[in-house]
Amino acid sequence: MHTSIQRLGGLLAAGLIVAACGGSAASPAPGQGGSGAAAGPVDLTFWYWAESDAPGADKWMADTVTAYHALHPNVTIKVDPQSTDTLQSAFQTAAASNSGPDIASQWATGPVLSFVWTGAVSAISDLVPADEMKHWLNTNENTYQGKVWAAPMYLLGIGLAYNKDLFAKAGVTPPTGDRWTWDEFLAACAKLKAAGITPFVGGDKNGYLGAWWFANVGGQQLDSAQDLVQAVVGNKSFTDPKYTGWYSELEKLVKNGYVNNDVMSLDLDQGVRLFQQGKGAMAFTSDGMLATAVSQLGGDKVGVMQPPKWGSGKLADAGNATQSISFFVTKWSAHQKEAADFLQYLHTPDRLKAWYAATGVVAADDRFDSSLITVPQLQQMAKFETTGPQVWLENWIPPQLDGDGDIPAGQTIFSGSGSAADAGALWERVANTWRSAHPDEVANWQNLLK
Amino acid sequence: MTAIPRSIRSRRRFDATPYLFIAPAVALIALVYGYPIIRIVIDSFLAPTASGGKTVSTANYSNVVADPVFWKSAGNNLFLLIGVPIMTALALLVAAVLFEQIRGWRVYRTLVFTPYILAVPVIGATFVYLYGFNGIVNTLLRDTGLGGLAQDWLGSPSLVVPSILSVIVYREFGFGVMLFLARMATVNVELYEAAMLDGAGWWARFRYITIPQLHSVIGFFVVIELITMLSWVFAYVYSMTGGGPGFASSVLEIYIWKNAFAYRAVGIASAVAVLLLVATSVFVIIQLLVRKGDAETGEE
Repeated sequence: MHTSIQRLGGLLAAGLIVAACGGSAASPAPGQGGSGAAAGPVDLTFWYWAESDAPGADKWMADTVTAYHALHPNVTIKVDPQSTDTLQSAFQTAAASNSGPDIASQWATGPVLSFVWTGAVSAISDLVPADEMKHWLNTNENTYQGKVWAAPMYLLGIGLAYNKDLFAKAGVTPPTGDRWTWDEFLAACAKLKAAGITPFVGGDKNGYLGAWWFANVGGQQLDSAQDLVQAVVGNKSFTDPKYTGWYSELEKLVKNGYVNNDVMSLDLDQGVRLFQQGKGAMAFTSDGMLATAVSQLGGDKVGVMQPPKWGSGKLADAGNATQSISFFVTKWSAHQKEAADFLQYLHTPDRLKAWYAATGVVAADDRFDSSLITVPQLQQMAKFETTGPQVWLENWIPPQLDGDGDIPAGQTIFSGSGSAADAGALWERVANTWRSAHPDEVANWQNLLK
Repeated sequence: MTAIPRSIRSRRRFDATPYLFIAPAVALIALVYGYPIIRIVIDSFLAPTASGGKTVSTANYSNVVADPVFWKSAGNNLFLLIGVPIMTALALLVAAVLFEQIRGWRVYRTLVFTPYILAVPVIGATFVYLYGFNGIVNTLLRDTGLGGLAQDWLGSPSLVVPSILSVIVYREFGFGVMLFLARMATVNVELYEAAMLDGAGWWARFRYITIPQLHSVIGFFVVIELITMLSWVFAYVYSMTGGGPGFASSVLEIYIWKNAFAYRAVGIASAVAVLLLVATSVFVIIQLLVRKGDAETGEE
């Protein structure tokens, strides 16, 4: 539940498009994924989660385990796929008794670090050579006190997809660069509405559209993710327009009729489906959603840009890609070196290629061969996801603030049942509630500011 | 009163055989029900501290009662209680009509009971499509010139709980119909015949024979549905709205689930679970008292 982007289950159809690229058998080069393997029998347990983000990931992992076992017959890896709803609570139970898997999965930043703070995680940067880790992308999401605590596998980002035919019909010209300013976005919405076209389509019944707006626009007045943490721990107030003033802009979109009228009746993916069916001019999409739109509307009918620039903070120019899930070695594992070696093996070029063939999701590694991406719109998305600093804002708030603050605040605006001020007050109230109920977590989150 | 011989009294007093027979079942129940309840009560009094440890305190309870989302959730549970008299009256009326064996009553009986045997998420998913802003209900309204009545039934904070309530009533009242029909089949027909000879009409027979004869099973149904509304509506809410928009349709079960599984706040979840257990226990005790009263008066 921590981040909405993690709930893209079933939406990543890019695998259909890239399937033609094909996979290949595991054949790691000497020294890759083999340096840490012990001579004696080693049994590793891996609590694994990725399929919901990237359909095909479970099959890829099964193949990867088989390939690794062929290389290291003494190492047996048991993969236990985890449920989204119990991913955190199940590991919390394990951590409480200092027993459980050798390798575990948690979403980046908050969830990973919360287990770092309870002493359940061994720093991956202590187990994997620096010359290997330099290839991994977005490691900043799990960096704390100078160490990297978990390994990334893939990147997910959000783009603003648009329908070229509907733009042409309304006389709207796409941006010449990668994005519009907010005023340009509003002007385009006005033109589209005047032409009888729904400018922006989406669904916020499950709250994730609002969360995506927060992640893409909500941080644009901030200079860093630490700015957000300042409000989380109570040093700043969420009622400050710097944090929640952007809801006024979202409110304008809704009140001006720039958003589909059934936005509160549809889940996130159902809302995007309207775009894929040509019933709206723009929508926020993941890579997979964009791939489906391209295949349904036609390659020449769909374009993609970065979300419009509204704010003036440094984060206004950052990308929004996140590694989503992260893999880490547990503190209690008797085979930490071997576990880390397996995580290293996941990043061998052959496995990265097989990953993309299986899932259609960009790997979080600079050795990933981007020429495997054949769809221009997806190439554009990959460029957005791998160029410049990347911050997925939802990773930087505790799950309770996300579930009881971020998500309901967006629903308040989309349902028209409250104002931007109400949304800001809600964030602040939930933050106060969280701080009161979780003094232990507050102390840990304050560490992120050091 | 005949005195019981001393030897028999002694034997009864010390005969442990029956207790040994039920001991395994009692042990199993204690393990399955007793341990979790004790664990939850203990956890509800363990609050986290800034140093990362836990302390025995009532902080979880005070945090819960200070949280507006808890009160919103509890309020929604209480609002859902409105559905109990509605579905009870509806089930009684439908059962009475079906009991008259009107033409096609078997088909009607099946239709009424079918929703109850369907899984709640199936019902929930179906009504999501029915109640959507551009769903079937609103489409019908618009197509029949009643577009002004079309609402965002599940997306509007003011309508979402009544909409969910209607779905709960739709599914649950079939259970009442079957319960009442089964009891009606055992009512002495001579009562009805005598009433008819006295000139009693359908309503009089229903009012003065059927309802009094069914009062025990009505009481059972009411208590079961009260408990349902308090602590068994998670699947309805989760499958239709997840508690939204905002917290508009949150109920205590959703509140517990979020805290326990999404926010890892086991102490908070446990505190609410204890409060909910106490609330539902009140209804269970009422039911036991009603049944005890019936047993003493010789009524079923």
